Amino acid sequence: MDERTEVRLPDLGEVEEVTVTAWLRQEGDTIEEGDDLLEVETEKTTFVVEAPQSGRLVRIVKKQGDRARRDELLAEID
Amino acid sequence: MSSWLRSTETRIVTHLPLGRADYASVYLLQRQLHDLRAAGKIRDTVITVEHDPVLTIGRAGSVANILVPPEVLEQEGITVYEVERGGDITYHGPGQLVVYPIIDLRDQGRDLRRYIRNLEQGVIDLLAEFGIKGGRRPGFPGVWVGVRKIASVGVYVKHWVTRHGLAFNVAVNRAHFGMINPCGLPIEVTSLDELTGEVYPLEEIARSLLARMEPLFEWRLVEEDPGPYWKGVE
Repeated sequence: MDERTEVRLPDLGEVEEVTVTAWLRQEGDTIEEGDDLLEVETEKTTFVVEAPQSGRLVRIVKKQGDRARRDELLAEID
Repeated sequence: MSSWLRSTETRIVTHLPLGRADYASVYLLQRQLHDLRAAGKIRDTVITVEHDPVLTIGRAGSVANILVPPEVLEQEGITVYEVERGGDITYHGPGQLVVYPIIDLRDQGRDLRRYIRNLEQGVIDLLAEFGIKGGRRPGFPGVWVGVRKIASVGVYVKHWVTRHGLAFNVAVNRAHFGMINPCGLPIEVTSLDELTGEVYPLEEIARSLLARMEPLFEWRLVEEDPGPYWKGVE
């Protein structure tokens, strides 16, 4: 399969925007579905985004310090 | 869903009153309960605790917001921990009521903002009992009385389950707050004793606050002996 899976910011409710505070995995890492991928922060809350699928983390789109809105592309898994 | 059905869905939630306990042990207990909650092995659980003096630095924090040298912290018996909750630096210590809900936000509308607002609202409603007007400041989560902060929030959410939570100043040593820029800001804090001229026992304030939180979160809290929950926490 060469279809890439997109990792997007989940719906966190009324939250308008988050900041990426830490990537817990690196580009090139092999990951399992449900692994902790990155942490985002909004209003004093850290939220852990999990891998939606197993594979290899091929591209990090939103880097540490970047802001993201709901459904924005964060990374790609192959 | 009809609104009258909601009352039948009130969740029973475990309340664990820990009394006074050191930060590191309670942190480990939180992690253990968080894992159990995420695995569906326990129901939603709310810890109340009073900590020994400690500074904790959140993900957005920096040691630069500690305003005194390490020797002074040592003299005062204050330990510093880095933690994974959101936010900057905060102080916990005697006379402060700390509430750690370990709850599944999928039952609370999967809304991080609503969760923070409900935490704040509990304190605002409690302050109203004392005739004190607590409020919010846009962009600065927590509960404020005028320009002074009386309660802080800082939360960590994984698998939609929360840990960390809320700290409400009941009768704190405000000099300890002078050692930091709370939340990374040059702000003043206040405490319920300062506003009312009375020192209330923490257990009494804990009961009142939790009673205020019940309708906001649609909980029914049932107190349990924390003893068995400490097993496996070293």
